[in-house]
Formats: sequence, C-alpha cells, structure tokens
Amino acid sequence: MIKCDSCGKRHPENTLFCDECGAYLQAEEHQRTNPLAVEEVDWTEADLGVTGMFDEASPLPIVIRLSIADSGREIEFPVSKEITLGRVDAASATFPDVDLTPDNGLEKGVSRRHARILRKTGELYVEDLGSVNGTYLNGKRLTPYLPHALKDEDEIRLSRILMHVRFA
Amino acid sequence: MDIQVDLYAVLGLKPHATPDEIKTAYRMLARRLHPDARGESNVDERFLHVQEAYEILSSAEQRQAYDRGREAAGLVSPPALVVDHTLNYTALPRRDEEQVAYALLRIAPHPRIEHKRLPFNLCLVVDHSTSMQGVRLQRVKEAVNTIIDNLEDQDVFSLVTFSDRARVVIEAQPYLDKAAAKTQVRSIHSAGGTEILHGLRSGLTEIRRWRSVDRSSHLVLLTDGQTYGDEEECIAEAQAAGAGQITITTIGIGQDWNDQLMDEIARRSGGTSHYIDSASRVTASFRSCIRSLSTLFARDLILRLHSPEEVRIQKAYRVAPYMESLDLHTGTLSLGYLDIEQPQSLMLQYLVRAQRPGKVNLAELTFEAVVPSLAEREQRVTHRIEIEVVDGLTLSAPPPPHMISVLGKLAIFEMQEKTMQDLADGELEQASHRLETMATRLLSIGENELAKAALLEAGRLSRTGNLSPEGRKRIRYGTRGLSMLSKEVHGDQV
Repeated sequence: MIKCDSCGKRHPENTLFCDECGAYLQAEEHQRTNPLAVEEVDWTEADLGVTGMFDEASPLPIVIRLSIADSGREIEFPVSKEITLGRVDAASATFPDVDLTPDNGLEKGVSRRHARILRKTGELYVEDLGSVNGTYLNGKRLTPYLPHALKDEDEIRLSRILMHVRFA
Repeated sequence: MDIQVDLYAVLGLKPHATPDEIKTAYRMLARRLHPDARGESNVDERFLHVQEAYEILSSAEQRQAYDRGREAAGLVSPPALVVDHTLNYTALPRRDEEQVAYALLRIAPHPRIEHKRLPFNLCLVVDHSTSMQGVRLQRVKEAVNTIIDNLEDQDVFSLVTFSDRARVVIEAQPYLDKAAAKTQVRSIHSAGGTEILHGLRSGLTEIRRWRSVDRSSHLVLLTDGQTYGDEEECIAEAQAAGAGQITITTIGIGQDWNDQLMDEIARRSGGTSHYIDSASRVTASFRSCIRSLSTLFARDLILRLHSPEEVRIQKAYRVAPYMESLDLHTGTLSLGYLDIEQPQSLMLQYLVRAQRPGKVNLAELTFEAVVPSLAEREQRVTHRIEIEVVDGLTLSAPPPPHMISVLGKLAIFEMQEKTMQDLADGELEQASHRLETMATRLLSIGENELAKAALLEAGRLSRTGNLSPEGRKRIRYGTRGLSMLSKEVHGDQV
C-alpha cells in the first residue's frame, strides 16, 4: 500500500496518480523544488494592457539571446509563440524548452515550469508560471501568471539564476 | 516449420482463432484420430499433422513466428488491425499484496490495407426553435450548404428540422440536385420550442429507408436547447440506432442544452458529442463530422477482455482521440469506430497478485470489428499482454514519460467526473474543493485557460451553489479534450 501525501488516500503498490486529488504518487523527494529563504521584495503592479491576441500574422520570429550570469552559458533561440523555462523532469513529464538543470537549476530553486517568454502582437513578454521562488524582471518580482513586457537589455532572474536578455 | 502448410486449416480453424478454440479443436480431432480410438495399429498420417499443428499453434511464440512468416511470404492477408502496448513496468517484484499494472494500448488500421471511402447515408437533424433565430440559424444554413456542396453522387443525404414538430426538408436520396436542395435550405425559418425526440425519430426514419451495408449511416443532431420530458425516449431511440449500425453525432451550441442527454445519445449509438460556444464554429464542426465519416476504417469495434484469476481489471479509459471512461460491466468494451488516420488509444488499469515468479498473462485481448472496405468484413485480432514477476526486484527506473503524462491527464479527467458526481449528489463543498485542486493540477501541466475556468467555477459554486452552464460545459468538454495526438500519447517523435 502507498499513501497519497496530499490527501491521505491509500492506493495499491505502483499506482502512479491519486484518483482523489490527482497528485503524482511516485515523486522523489530530492527532485522537488524547495522554497529558498525569503527576501522582502516589491511585487510589480498588474500590467493589464497586454492581454491581446497572439499575432499569428507576424512572419519574422524575434531572436533573443540569454546570457546566464553564473554559469556563463549563452542560449540563443527564436520566439515565434512561446518558450518555457524550467527544469527537465522526466518523472513528471516536464520538458521545458530551456532547461536550466546544467546551470544548477535545482539547487538554485528553479521550478520545473518556472516562467515563459511569449510573443503577443509582435512584442515579447515574460510571465511567471506560479514558480516556488519567483521570477524577477529588473529586480522586481512578477505577479504569477501576468505577462510583463520584455525589452532588450533587461535582466530576468529565475529564483537565484540571473540572466541577461539581448534581442538579436 | 513449413510455412506453406496452413496449420489452422489442419485443425479446421481460421487464422484468428483464439487459444481456447485451438485447444478445443485439437482435443476433438485428437480423440477422433487417435490410433486407439480407431482400433488400428498403424498411425493415421492426419493424426501426426494435427499434433504438429497443435504444437506450433498452442505456443504463443511459435504461433507468432509462424503467422509472421506466412504474412511475409504473402500467403495470408494481414490482420486488419495492428495492436501494440506499453506497460508502466515490464517486470514486477513478487509481492503478497496486490500491485497496479497499467497497459497503454494502441489500435491502428494495418498500414498495408488500402482505404476506400464508403458512400454516406447522412441525415442532418437541425434545431430551428425560436432560440436559434438570427445569426445562429443563418450560420447553420451556411454550414448545411457546405455539406451539400461536398456530397458525391452515391451519397444519400437528408435534412430534417425540428422545434415542437419535425419536418423533413430534404428527403433521403442519392444523386441530390444540389441547387434545388439549397433552395429548400433557404426556406428554413425559426419557430417554436425544442423537442428533440421528434427530430431524432424523423431523421432515423429517413436513414432507415436507404440502409445498406455499402453505405455508412450517420445522423448529426444539432441543438441549442433543453428538451422536456422525452429524454428517456431519445435515449431508447439512440440505443436502437446503435444496434442498427447508425451512429449519432450530437453538437450542442451555446450554453442551454442538456450536456448529459447529448452525451448519452451519442454514446448509446457509438458516436461522439461536441460542444461549440459560438455559431461561427458550426461549419467547422459539420466538416469535421464529415471528415471523420470519410476516414472511417472500421466500425462496431469491440474489445473482449480476458485475464487469469490472479489479475483483475480495475479501470479502462479511452485516451485518444478523446478521453472517456469505458464501462467494464460486461467484460466487453464498445469502442465505436476506428479512423484510418487516427488510431485509438486505451489505458487499462489492472490489479495483479504476483505471488509466483515467472511469466504472468496480464490479459488476452480479442478485438472484433467490421471493416467495410475488406472482402471479409468481420475481422478479429487477438493480442496478449505478458508481464514478468521477479523475486526481490526493485523498481528503480521511472515508467516511460509519455505514460506518466497520459496518466496525469487521466487523473484530472477523473477528478472532473467526480466533481460532476458530487454536484449531482448535492455535495457542493466537496465539488468546490475538487475544482480548486483540479485547477492546481491543470496549472502544473500548463493548461492555464482550463485552470482559470475551474477556479472561477469553484468560486461561483461556493458563493451561489451552482456552476454557470457555460463553465460547466467548458470544464467537461475541456478536460475530455486533454487527450493528445496519438503520437504524443505513445511518446513517438512528433
């Protein structure tokens, strides 16, 4: 018998998901994102002007380059619709487009689905996906699930991983 | 082993015979041909042949090798259906308590069978009650005209409108005069209330006038309202339609229609139900119905489940092309039709009591289907799922990621079903709590829109004690649509 951590229901051995609350029952403890020590931060105000439609017609993808401060890794990719950032975790079938595991993502508190960069009406936005340790744009913590405009030379921080944004 | 010899024929059987049939046939023949029984000292050569045939066909491995050899040599036509499976673990540790084993199945048409589209026998049954007035009815008429434009000469087409009464606008007929038909469509006006039964009955009558095995019979029912008092009879009609190989697709438009009734009508007849929130989607929705009719490969697909005593099936779901829980009552699953381009995927959840090391036969699956494009229409394919039981095994590697992803979505789907059950039982607090949990799970897999809808409805439920009709439909049909492309379900490269 195994017991569901979140609702307490009991299941036969090898059950993968709790049918009561939907929790994954085989998650290994060390793979979870642990909350890091909390610092006092200002939450940026809601920027509600950006909930337009995706600009399907815009033909040219915007290419951006992320330079990760600590590891020195540079990643360049086109954003045609959206790019997710986080940590690959096969056990929960999470495969973000940009995997921060090689940059010590787990130790630095990056969630599996941490943030995304998306494109609406030709502009780029960054959005926190309800991560445990937060996403910061130029030092300000973003309200989860609210996209914020992203500009050339901006600084994004996913938990403790700092990265520079350059539009190519 | 000589593949030129038809060992099945030696036993008086067909190539898709089940292991039980093989055993029975062998016993019967052996008893008859045995030298002792015949009272002769010399051995009948037929007896030797029967024994040799049984030796090969009774072993799963040898039988498979023999079948493949004959197929490769072009001696037999390939089976109409190709079935494969993935298990969460291919081996289980020996344990005294029961363990879960998941099998993800894929059922696809054999790639070597050429597909030809059967002519349709199609009836559109359209609600023209007062609530359909204006743009909605206009869009429906345009959609009907698109269908008419795409008909071929051999297709039988009919159109029925209904409100409190039903009217046959276009009688069932092949070689339709398209221009005249469109004039008839123009004559449709909105009036009256909604009584689905009348429309359904008239539509089915039209279809039955032209029923034949050479056409695929289908009824599309579109409504925007609730029907009053005739639900039971509607379901009975749907059941009878299904028994007569007429499938019904239901399309609910807007917010006020009865989703449970629409689902039930579709399910009983082996069809599917759809939800569209805006009239502008009617054309697309009709088109996809027609498309799926043109790509129909097999119909009346059923799966007979059989497992040994130490194994029992717990749950069965269809996971692609859409999610649905399947009724395990009879030990036979009705799977409706199989599309040439879209394989079906099922998830079977078993409980295994693995007390002895060695091979366990998790399941013997027998699929039966009618494949209209083949000379031999009735097809049967068997598939066996085996699992190894090992002493002292530790399961270290995680199950295949695509399997986890499918099961995660099924868990959400199941929560949705439980929420609806809670609501029906008046357990409002429970339902609201479940919706909130569901929203968290939806967010974690990136389904933000659906998560938002679930959260909104959880809030509304605790404030008002009700879901909004729109939110209820969005959640029901949204979770059902969580299933993915078949390629994703099975972890293939997309």
